[in-house]
Amino acid sequence: MKIATFLPELIRHLFKKPATLDYPFKKIAVPAGFRGTPFLHPEICIVCKACERDCPAEAIEITSVNEAEKRFKMVIHNDRCIHCAQCVDSCPTTPVKAMEMDTLHEIAAFDRHDLKAEWVFTRALPKKPAAPAGDKPEPSPAKS
Amino acid sequence: MKFNIPIGPQHPALKEPISIRLTVEGEVIRDADLRLGYNHRGLEKLAEEKSWIQNIYLTERICGICSHSHSTCFVQGVEKLMEIEPPRRGVYLRYLVSELERVHSHLLWLGVAGHEAGFDTFFMYTWRDREVVMDLLEMISGNRVHYAINTLGGVRRDIDAALRKKILDGLAVLKARSEYYFKIGAAEPTFVGRLAGVGRLTKQRAMDLCAVGPQARASGVARDVRKDDPHDFYNEVDFDVATADTCDVLGRTVVRIKELFESYKICEQILAKLPAGPVAVKAPRRAKPNEVVSRYEAPRGENIHYIIANGSEKPERLKVRAPTLGNYASTIEILRHGFIADVPLIFAAIDPCICCAERTVDLIDARSGEERTLRFADLRRMANERARTLPLQRNVAWPL
Amino acid sequence: MAALKTILYLVVFPGLLFLFLYSTFIEWFDRKVYARLQNRMGPTHTGRSGLLQPIADFVKLMAKEDIVPDQADKTLFSSLPIIGLAVVITAGLFLPVWHIDPAAASMISFPGDVIILLYLLSLPTLIFFLAGWASTNAFSIIGGTRVLTMLFGYEVPLFLAVLSPALLAGSWRLAEIAAFYRAHPLLMLPNILGFGVALIAVQAKLERTPFDIPHAETEIVGGTFTEYSGKKLAFFRLMTDIELVVSAGLIATVFLGGFSGGIVLAFVQFVLKTLFVVFLLSVLRAVTGRIRVDQVVTFAWKWLAPLAVLQLLIVILIKGFLL
Repeated sequence: MKIATFLPELIRHLFKKPATLDYPFKKIAVPAGFRGTPFLHPEICIVCKACERDCPAEAIEITSVNEAEKRFKMVIHNDRCIHCAQCVDSCPTTPVKAMEMDTLHEIAAFDRHDLKAEWVFTRALPKKPAAPAGDKPEPSPAKS
Repeated sequence: MKFNIPIGPQHPALKEPISIRLTVEGEVIRDADLRLGYNHRGLEKLAEEKSWIQNIYLTERICGICSHSHSTCFVQGVEKLMEIEPPRRGVYLRYLVSELERVHSHLLWLGVAGHEAGFDTFFMYTWRDREVVMDLLEMISGNRVHYAINTLGGVRRDIDAALRKKILDGLAVLKARSEYYFKIGAAEPTFVGRLAGVGRLTKQRAMDLCAVGPQARASGVARDVRKDDPHDFYNEVDFDVATADTCDVLGRTVVRIKELFESYKICEQILAKLPAGPVAVKAPRRAKPNEVVSRYEAPRGENIHYIIANGSEKPERLKVRAPTLGNYASTIEILRHGFIADVPLIFAAIDPCICCAERTVDLIDARSGEERTLRFADLRRMANERARTLPLQRNVAWPL
Repeated sequence: MAALKTILYLVVFPGLLFLFLYSTFIEWFDRKVYARLQNRMGPTHTGRSGLLQPIADFVKLMAKEDIVPDQADKTLFSSLPIIGLAVVITAGLFLPVWHIDPAAASMISFPGDVIILLYLLSLPTLIFFLAGWASTNAFSIIGGTRVLTMLFGYEVPLFLAVLSPALLAGSWRLAEIAAFYRAHPLLMLPNILGFGVALIAVQAKLERTPFDIPHAETEIVGGTFTEYSGKKLAFFRLMTDIELVVSAGLIATVFLGGFSGGIVLAFVQFVLKTLFVVFLLSVLRAVTGRIRVDQVVTFAWKWLAPLAVLQLLIVILIKGFLL
């Protein structure tokens, strides 16, 4: 019967640096591509509402502020957001998506109403998708 | 002198609320009874009100540890319903994350077993090493828990050469540490003395009571959905089903450590054979009316999702049979003959994921509209009786 | 004047205040060593590198709500922590912490005081059992019975192991035992077996892993302490800490040759030797898992008791042939 088989490993650890980090005084950087909080690039958004439809947590709310001037308001309820980034995937604009995910994750607040982010903007015109090289031409140009 | 000891619903040994009532005499348990439902969240009902794509994230949140299992099981079924086939690269990446999740879950379980046995040093070491696989998953998917890498028709993200190298390096580190645990941890007398001979479940009883996962495999029942139902992928990689013959908690520990090594093997094969190409195909918004049963080998055992589509954007019905629910019957059997001091270990050895298993069964009488909620024991009795009276059907075609 | 001096000794050093501060220091050291062995940081922020953490824990517990269960025996329930604290502090007064002259090596020193010290250290076990019993909670009663069951295992080896060096030194008085081993340091070596047995038996007395079954968190919630909260729990925790200091001091006195050389040097030796013993106990805590109560008793009677008897035999042989 071997007694205390862990012992050499244990003693070795006395001289190693601890594996734990002195958070919040020291922080590790999160990797690129970390799903933090979603935010909007309002100058690109064409208000297709795909993000609102696909959000599992109903965290995106798009309302019309002024019908004639095509002004819309988007509210992202970050207290409801589950950080899945489906809104980013569903966003159809090219080459840059209007919805983007940043790496902010320390967004805790005392009141959940402080976690709502709002944008009021004019709808952008959907761009004609660039014809890929060597393909047959589009059947009809997209109307704006 | 007989005592009734309640373990739960609130108890430091349980990570989630469940009520186990034990009748004890001194330190020996004479009888055990299980009460469920403390963690019921109405997920199956909620799934009927969300679209197919939203349901991926909902099923993912059935559990935190086996989140990818539920999401994959669901997506496998829905892809069959929508009659789309994900590209090979997408499939390989999806199951790469599956195996990494199995690694993280088994390392977590090893730590929990150590903690339940009072061996906190083992707990701290295994969870420190688990950080390696958590960081890998974070780099692949953007989050440490709830990877959300599945989408209808494939996966959402791709890996590049640099990430591939990082994964291989991380796997090498983990392999070395797992070998150390296998060699030394299994020889530490205080730890092994707590695990050996505890929680016996014979092979016959394991099969009678429909045990799944490592609970069954530790009793010699070599049942693994990855071999029985490879679903287009597991027949392309080479691995063994881990079993043990000791039928006790030590066997379950050994099975899980062996599965760690099998997972490392599978991950290395995936990274070596990763085909080029797209990672997803576009999925339609609606599914034709049909029903599908999807099975998946979660770290805890066989996970079954039964999905009915009615031609709209939302599922008609989603029914989840999580592995822990399948293991409850055998757990009660095991608890009946043990010591109180063994209860946390026995219960931890089934790797309970109670929030996976919280589903009630409501029976509505078609004629009178009266509702009854049935207990698991009644259901089993009714099913056994019906199985006895129905004629045998041979060559049944699975609706997959 | 003598009365004032006695009160000073009782309250400041080596009595209440000293034991309180020193036991919190030892608890910090134990937690830090345990954490470093597990590759983590341990207490870090309260005070310089977490030194004030145990005091902070004590203060926090004192400020919390104190709940007495309805069905519990209120007098017994409430008085047990204080009685326990008094018992271990009294035990602490026997340690020969300073050494001005052998006639007055500790506050109380007389032939036979090693027996009294061992007896005082057995009382906490009974107090834990009564605490579990008085709580009238299923978990507490099981914890209490486990405490007593363990007592059947480790008490005899502990007594035998501690009394062997006393036999060799030819005295039942702590100060003289320590003086003997300072005079003949080589004679500490035959007692190595007893040292090992005493360490393991003391770990069982203090209810630390691998013997922490009476308050095994994952099985019976808090064991004997389940129903205690607030000030009473603070006193119980302080009592276990001081018990650790006293046991470490006992082992250091009897096996490692006590503390000598005037007030300051004796104090420094006391600190170093008790830290060494606590370090060994912390390593023992980190390297093992918890064993079941029946396994404790089996282990104690199969291994500890025979080894202690063997130690006794060695001592008798040496005494017969060499001295």
